Amino acid sequence: MRILIVEDDADTSQFIARGLAELGHQVVTSGDGRDGLFHATDGGFDAMVVDRMLPGLDGLALVKALRAAGNMTPVLMLTAVSGIVDRVEGLEGGADDYLVKPFAFTELAARLHALGRRPSAAAEPARLTAGDIVLDLHRRTVTRAGHKIALQPREFTLLAELMRNPGRIMTRTMLLERVWDFDFDPKTNIVETHLSRLRSKLNAGFDSDPIETVRGAGYLIKDGG
Amino acid sequence: MKRWWRGTFGLVAAVAVGFALATLVIGAVAFETTHEALELQLDHRIAIETQALIDEGQDGHEGVAAAIRRREAASSTASLGYRLVDAQNRPVAGSLDATVPSKPGYVELLPYKANGEERIAQSLTTALPGGYRLLVGADRAAIDEMDNRFILLFLGAFGAMLLLGIGAAWLVGIVTRRRLARIDHTAAAIIAGDLSRRVPLTGSGDEFDGVATTLNRMLDRIAGLMENLRQVSSDVAHDLRTPLTRLQNCLDEALRERNPELQREAIEAAASEAGELLEVFSALLRIAEVEGLAARAHFQTVDLSAVVADVAEAFRPSMESSGHQLVTSIAPGLTMPGDRRLLQQMLTNLLDNAAQHTPQGTTVSIALESTRNGIRLAVSDNGPGVGEMEAPELFKRFARADRSRSTPGHGLGLAMVAAIVAAHSGRATIDSRPGFGVHAEF
Repeated sequence: MRILIVEDDADTSQFIARGLAELGHQVVTSGDGRDGLFHATDGGFDAMVVDRMLPGLDGLALVKALRAAGNMTPVLMLTAVSGIVDRVEGLEGGADDYLVKPFAFTELAARLHALGRRPSAAAEPARLTAGDIVLDLHRRTVTRAGHKIALQPREFTLLAELMRNPGRIMTRTMLLERVWDFDFDPKTNIVETHLSRLRSKLNAGFDSDPIETVRGAGYLIKDGG
Repeated sequence: MKRWWRGTFGLVAAVAVGFALATLVIGAVAFETTHEALELQLDHRIAIETQALIDEGQDGHEGVAAAIRRREAASSTASLGYRLVDAQNRPVAGSLDATVPSKPGYVELLPYKANGEERIAQSLTTALPGGYRLLVGADRAAIDEMDNRFILLFLGAFGAMLLLGIGAAWLVGIVTRRRLARIDHTAAAIIAGDLSRRVPLTGSGDEFDGVATTLNRMLDRIAGLMENLRQVSSDVAHDLRTPLTRLQNCLDEALRERNPELQREAIEAAASEAGELLEVFSALLRIAEVEGLAARAHFQTVDLSAVVADVAEAFRPSMESSGHQLVTSIAPGLTMPGDRRLLQQMLTNLLDNAAQHTPQGTTVSIALESTRNGIRLAVSDNGPGVGEMEAPELFKRFARADRSRSTPGHGLGLAMVAAIVAAHSGRATIDSRPGFGVHAEF
């Protein structure tokens, strides 16, 4: 992916840029809001990382200007504050996802990957498939190799979220946000227990586990099979 | 002092001068009215007397002259004087020593002589047949004396008002300045650094005491907030020292370690310590943000029943696998203005606490009900609970019950709960017997 980073703190910018380059992405950095907007409108980026507080033009204004100009490049916004209000403002302002500093690099990378190829809600197919698993979003049914599997509503949403991003890591916090709508991390292992129940239901009678645990990062559902 | 009239002295003095001027105006009007009434009365008396003389002397000037003589002989008319003259201005009768005006009618200030003294009379001249003219006059001394007394009286009153007013202004000015000076001194002392100073009260319960009491309460509140802030920052410093020390130890170990695998382990431990520290910071910032009430601007109607049910269901599998029982009693359809995510977090923190600090087999209950005053949420357990003395302290940052010191955590969960409940204009209480319970009323 071609990724634009607009971040005024040189250390953070370098930290992100180096990490993304290691993952094989092309990275362009900018340390100023106006300069960043100039690069962004120039086009050709698959995703952007924009800091909320920037010299010249702040991140929120940058995203608003970009959206007003019809540019729909996915934006992941970063903020240094605890961000209860900032999060709402950022998402309302046109950002696609939001990450509070400090963050682990794996978290940022996972979120960027999820943004990069996110289909618009209207274009989403009614059936998701991953290997031998088929999930029907309309009828809310799941089958594995043709066998019907009964899931609790949250387990269904959890599986759907993994299957929307086949082969890509979904972090704990991403799952908490998307499945439970929590923007905080409970101490209780909610994600783990739900995943383990989902796994045992999916794998009953099968040898292979389609869900992979990526240590220190999150979970992913294997693409293909 | 450029605008001296804005001061207390100026204001009271202005009011006093205003009153004095009003006295002057009232005096002038009263004077004029009384004066006119007295003159009319005098004119009336003269007119009646003239008519009486003419009536008595029916047959012309001879009769009138006779009537005058009779009256003067009787000397019963001390205040009235008469003079009858013929066409050639020769006196015919009457002892009033004055020039009879040639034209008939009233003359207000007619000079005359009495006992060799110049005096002033009010007079009426009437033409009689044959060119005779009759003059009846009354001395004005009574009116003049009245006028003089009146003027004196009112000038005296004016002067007294002015003196009293200026005196009052001076006194009020001194008293006000003295009372304000006490507040001023207190403020100056506080500015200079003596934060314990308070405005002294006189105990009279007057307006100054009222202001002083309010100011003192404000100062107490500020002092309380500052004390709280001092406490929090010293708590933060104290509670972060331990993880920072552990972080340093891990890094030291990594530097000393030759075995690459063990070195990596030490670095991972250091990274995890750093992560925990950052977590504490973001929890503190989040509490501060909630306490700052900025989230209130985004409040929307929240279906609290649905939020509570959702969070309870999210926790159920984990609670069950850790050997806890989760019992819910949720009244449906209870809504309130709020921030859904914050309310989720409030409930999450309470359930986290219950799951972490109670042994296996404990029953955790969530009850949401509507009460006469609003909505009541209770999250309680039948676990070992906490000491009664500890309970109210647990809403403070970094507060941890003695029993929970060995379990992981930073003592910020309940502080966050308290902040969220307060942001939603609610009241949170801890019920520590039996087990442990937190009640929130909105």
